Amino acid sequence: MNPRALGAWALAGVTIALATGNPVYRVLVLLCALNILIALRRPGISVRGLIVALIVAAAIAIATTTLASHTGVHAFLVLPAGIPVIGGRLTLEAAFFGLSTGIGIAAAVLAAAPLSLVLEPHALVDALPAALARTGAAIGTALNLIPGIARSATEIRDAQRMRGWRSRRVREWPDLAVPVVLTALEGSITLAEAMEARGYGSGTRTHYTADVWHRADIVVAASAVAAAAFFVALRISGVISDWYPFPDVTAPPVSIAGVVSCLALAAPLLVWRR
Amino acid sequence: MTVASLRRFTYRYPNAGQPALDRVDLDVPDGITLVAGASGSGKSSLLRVFNGLVPHFHGGTVSGFAEVCGRDVVTTPTRVLATEVGFVFQDPELQAVYPSVERDVAFGLENIGAAPALMHRRVGEALEVAGIAHLRGRAVATLSGGERQRLAIAGVLAMRPRLVVLDEPLSQLDDQGAAALVATLIDLAKQGTAIVVAEHRFEKLARVPGRRIAIGGGRTVSTDAPAVVPAALVRPPVVTARPQPTGTVAWRVDHLATGPAHTPVLEGVTLEGRRGEVVALVGPNGGGKTTLLRTLAGLLTPISGTVQRAPGRVAFLPQNPMALLHRASVAAEIAWTVRRDDRSARDAAGLINELGLTHIAHRDPRDLSSGERQRAAIAAVLAGSPQIALLDEPTRGMDDGSRDALCRVVLRMRAAGCSIVLATHDMNLARSVADRVVSAGAGVVSELVAAGVA
Repeated sequence: MNPRALGAWALAGVTIALATGNPVYRVLVLLCALNILIALRRPGISVRGLIVALIVAAAIAIATTTLASHTGVHAFLVLPAGIPVIGGRLTLEAAFFGLSTGIGIAAAVLAAAPLSLVLEPHALVDALPAALARTGAAIGTALNLIPGIARSATEIRDAQRMRGWRSRRVREWPDLAVPVVLTALEGSITLAEAMEARGYGSGTRTHYTADVWHRADIVVAASAVAAAAFFVALRISGVISDWYPFPDVTAPPVSIAGVVSCLALAAPLLVWRR
Repeated sequence: MTVASLRRFTYRYPNAGQPALDRVDLDVPDGITLVAGASGSGKSSLLRVFNGLVPHFHGGTVSGFAEVCGRDVVTTPTRVLATEVGFVFQDPELQAVYPSVERDVAFGLENIGAAPALMHRRVGEALEVAGIAHLRGRAVATLSGGERQRLAIAGVLAMRPRLVVLDEPLSQLDDQGAAALVATLIDLAKQGTAIVVAEHRFEKLARVPGRRIAIGGGRTVSTDAPAVVPAALVRPPVVTARPQPTGTVAWRVDHLATGPAHTPVLEGVTLEGRRGEVVALVGPNGGGKTTLLRTLAGLLTPISGTVQRAPGRVAFLPQNPMALLHRASVAAEIAWTVRRDDRSARDAAGLINELGLTHIAHRDPRDLSSGERQRAAIAAVLAGSPQIALLDEPTRGMDDGSRDALCRVVLRMRAAGCSIVLATHDMNLARSVADRVVSAGAGVVSELVAAGVA
């Protein structure tokens, strides 16, 4: 699995999700991304937290649009006009618009999510363009510190517990937090020193591992780029039309060409295996 | 040939009153140079001059002259000196940059823009010389402390340095690991790499040929023969004979299986310790010493079997002293442990004195050297009157004087009826204070000798 191929796929998914307000295409992107996440995620990684967060985000989008917009013909509830902001007619149109926005957010986030949930962190760092190599090494190093911090946090909690520290007293929490933070800081300073001592920042960096492109990677990257380019072209030429529920809600228009280009995003499911 | 030389080199850390290095005159020739010095002697600062971390990374002020491999240290940045000088830091946990072994060894080469083909060749060679060719495909997180140290050495060797500097490389190794490392260093020196090693524990370096330099108060006090190194080689035990412990049982484990994450590291352990008894726990890295201590402390729930402890406070010293030091001063640290016990607070002053901490009692633990931190941590856990004391590698980073002080404290607590368990690599410590020596390794625990100090 080439990290840059996955990067190209994610970029294509985000582009399609944001290129149109039409919820049909957004749902298709969302479904492709969700399936890829579930099929290809790193061992031990759970997507449940992300999904819950996205449902909450979508619910907030629906609630705020419904309560604040008051436009559209199908009112399902009328709140007393005296209430600031939310007072007035609540319409089906506004609710649908909120739903479409929520799906758009979820589709874009899920399309980008494989970068962190499918790739190993250092693979992502390697995939950064050469201009960001310095940043990349710094991020990689920071990621590498995390297990150490978790380990020292356990060690610190143990040590303080043995000296009579009790987690139930909020007043005593700093006695745990302060050494954890200071130890982490000290660890990162030591690591910075070690990196400096190994010539970090000397100038042009090279990469130990060459970027390997297998046929499957090329298929994924090419199909994703083609799908996004095709979709954007359809959007510009007007074949794919936007969707807007106001003033009277209608079913979103669907173009076969648009659906096909969205489905091309499912290519990783066919050619990549974890 | 001289690889590095310092002339009247003086260095002060930012905002420090006393210089860390005071008019040092020194020549480092080819071969191996051993640097000995107590905690806070300026040893770590001296080592950092060789690759310019002092003054470039740490700041502060310098005077005098320092030259390494023909370059002026004060005007050459560390990243340039890095091509000539390899530095292996004290803590192997905090040196790996990448998560895979192979990749991490290549880090230095990537930094100087080496071509991939050259990198692959050099990485292979470096892994070979460091004796870890078999670990090539492994993830760094799965390595033991000793393996990580070898990884750090491989990373340094891949750069083909002229000089390799190692800061207390033996402090975390068992005897076997230490012997293997010493053999590697001797080989490297034969092949023309100059080596500087700083250590407290000279007994492990006794067979290493090379020059010995002692440093104290920021000054190199002597630069001659091995005989000059103060209190260096094997020391006599502090106490030679004392009555057998006859106290009641303070702790007992029965048919114990224990380990982190429900994976047994030790199985079928039955063992007990009495009041007024010192048990030394020895064994290789990863053998389960720490696991057993944590189980005794009640921090780890046994997978099967039972753990019993007599009532009373249990003092626990973790391997990393900074895990517990967080107050503004050493004295406040000790007061925090005994905060619910007025009488103990009064006794604490005696403990501070015993461990030689009086002159640094008001200082922030984070400003202390690693050996001083270790003593501060010991004082912090042993303050008051614990019934059981569990100490994990208590002599880590300690010089001989501090170790003697620790031995005296342990023996005093023993006399007061405390039951003490020490996990240690330091056989001298075990011989000096332990009533029994118990070995943990290969999943089992076995009694080595009945009475350590016969």
